Amino acid sequence: MGKEMIAMLLAGGQGSRLYALTQKLAKPAVPFGGKYRIIDFPLSNCVNSGIDTVGILTQYQPLILNEYIGNGQPWDLDRLYGGVHVLPPYQQASGSDWYKGTANAIYQNISFIERYDPEYVIILSGDQICKQDYSEFLRFHKEKNAEFSVAVMEVPWEEAGRFGLMVTDENDRITEFQEKPANPKSNLASMGIYIFNWDILKKYLIEDENDPESENDFGNNIIPNLLRDNRRMYAHRFVGYWKDVGTISSLWEANMEVLDPEHSGINLFDDKWKIYSRNSGMTGHKINPGAVVEDSMITDGCRISGHVKHSILYAGVKVEEGAVVEDAVVMGGSIIKKGAVVKHCIVAENVVIGEDAVVGAMPTDEEKGVATIGSGVYIGDGAKIGPNAMVSENVKDGEEEW
Amino acid sequence: MVKGGKSSALGVIFPNIYDKLVPELTTERLMASVQFGGRYRMIDFILSSMTNSGINNIAILVRENYFSLLDHLGSGREWDLARKNGGLNIFPPFAQRTMGMYAGRIEALASILAFLKNQNERYVVLSDSHLAINFDFRKLISAHEETGADVTMVYSKGEIPEKAKEADDASRGRYYSLNVAEDGSITKININPKDEGIVNLSCNIYIMDRKFLIKKVTEASLAGGVSFERDIFIPQMDSIKIMGYEYTGYVGRIVGLKSYFDENMKLLDDKNLDALFSERPIYTKIRDDNPTRYMGDAKTANVLVADGCIIEGTVENSILFRGVKVGKGAVVKNCILMQDTVIEPGSDVEYVITDKKVTISKEKELKGTDSFPVFVAKRQKV
Repeated sequence: MGKEMIAMLLAGGQGSRLYALTQKLAKPAVPFGGKYRIIDFPLSNCVNSGIDTVGILTQYQPLILNEYIGNGQPWDLDRLYGGVHVLPPYQQASGSDWYKGTANAIYQNISFIERYDPEYVIILSGDQICKQDYSEFLRFHKEKNAEFSVAVMEVPWEEAGRFGLMVTDENDRITEFQEKPANPKSNLASMGIYIFNWDILKKYLIEDENDPESENDFGNNIIPNLLRDNRRMYAHRFVGYWKDVGTISSLWEANMEVLDPEHSGINLFDDKWKIYSRNSGMTGHKINPGAVVEDSMITDGCRISGHVKHSILYAGVKVEEGAVVEDAVVMGGSIIKKGAVVKHCIVAENVVIGEDAVVGAMPTDEEKGVATIGSGVYIGDGAKIGPNAMVSENVKDGEEEW
Repeated sequence: MVKGGKSSALGVIFPNIYDKLVPELTTERLMASVQFGGRYRMIDFILSSMTNSGINNIAILVRENYFSLLDHLGSGREWDLARKNGGLNIFPPFAQRTMGMYAGRIEALASILAFLKNQNERYVVLSDSHLAINFDFRKLISAHEETGADVTMVYSKGEIPEKAKEADDASRGRYYSLNVAEDGSITKININPKDEGIVNLSCNIYIMDRKFLIKKVTEASLAGGVSFERDIFIPQMDSIKIMGYEYTGYVGRIVGLKSYFDENMKLLDDKNLDALFSERPIYTKIRDDNPTRYMGDAKTANVLVADGCIIEGTVENSILFRGVKVGKGAVVKNCILMQDTVIEPGSDVEYVITDKKVTISKEKELKGTDSFPVFVAKRQKV
């Protein structure tokens, strides 16, 4: 029996604007919010929306991502028929190709999709933090009798020019698509989440593949072609928290917003829409006598002896005596040694910040940078890392980096 | 045997033995599913110890009150025990016509003789579930093979807990101390001794040849035997070779509500926490809680906290299980708060153990003492 809708999750992005964080890691595998990775959000959304078949298209640095997904059990996606499948590019009789673009990635997996004989396919992106009910989106798609629907967010008019915009009529039907225009005619930004009728998607993927001029991209090729042919295309307005965490500052900001769900709207404490993740298997966290913890989120395995203020600590982080951590995102397994000061920055996994070292600084009028330390880096005792630094190599004792 | 390959031992766990030591905690569950250390249940320790040692064929002989345990274990996947061959085998009473409500280990084992005969492992390791322990069964198996003993009994040095000594009879279960000769052999097994000072306390973890076990259990059950130690080991001390194996690692022994409180509190010392958890992981059922959130005027010192908590008040010297809420202005000192306990704003609790889903209402004061912690039963609202 066919599936009503399956999901294809684009997880091949290099995330080059996350620099030090994505040197050994695909962007969807970047840790987020204390105990999650970015990809937990779309995967949990799928399961919570009743989608039990997900193809994950990987290309760049897939090792950690593949291991993390495993058989999909943490998301309840270990299924007899369906479940989660990681789909890297593969060798075919006609030769092998990297995924040339987002549309080409789906094109190369047409046979995967056909095994489930779906009526609809939802295309998801692996670099957004968002809790969205895709079943509601599908209901909209069906109600409009659409062939293609895109999830859109209303953005402030002054920022609209940074997005791909959908111009619609009063029935939400899309009449025009503007990619980062100088003069926006709409403030409905595409979230890069699409529902297609499978027969339509397949037809346009094949057409696109046969066009040697095409970039094989959904935004630049497939959507314009659909518009050209006057297909029934609709924009579904999403209301809620949505963030593209493609840059260091947006990733840092989104983490800080997790600390303040009352204002930001990103609530991880929602029993009805849980975000699932692979568990660290560590004991509870420990706050030692003399430690101070204010307005922070802390997860399993942490040991806190210093001062933690308005920060997120991931599994197994140690903050030693006299260390100060403020407005910081400290990822799993990192150690902040005695007297170190870590402020307004992102510290990736398994980093050691040496004694009395200083990393980052609270923002001033001129300087608002988020210092970033890549995974596995050792910052020597007494070293100083400036607020705009992006560190992916070890820093010796006492050295400075800006 | 390939290292990490197929194990040479079958595991057998008795989850109900010692339920009577902690009647408060076992009204709706058994010893094996008593919560411990912020996010675990007692059985997690022995199960993880077995799987970490390559033992992946494990029989659990449940007796009564086992719903919470079945719910916790599920398919056994979290301990890597959802296996095609072996894995988790749970035997409730009356699972087969030959099985009834057992009184002791002999009856329990006699009821699964057919299962025992059908297995391939050379040895059987037996254990209860009242110990918080991270035990390496591989070392025990090697020691047992080296000495060529019929039975090897695990013990640790320590004082007999006062609570255990209280009962004059065996109504709260039996405990054993061992006299160990210089060559490591056991010369005497003492039932419910009341000695002062350090003794060799049995951990109730035994290893023996599977065929030997089958033979002894068959004989003893025909003769109406109940207790393994009393009716097999002690009368046959001269004819079977029993060796001792001293375990020098960390042991948390639950023998009553007070020791339950103390053993939990000991984990607030990093030394103990590391000793119990650092060498090999202890697995448990996953609940997918979010990280714990500290808000507003939260003040915390010396606490062990699991995920999913929201803390807005003051918490000191306490252990918080998953999903606990401490409201604004509330003060929690020297407490063990189990899963989903809610301490409402302004209340003041000290030396209190709350079971699952307890609510302490606004502005309430509830205080026990160091030697007599107050216990609030499951789902109660104070």
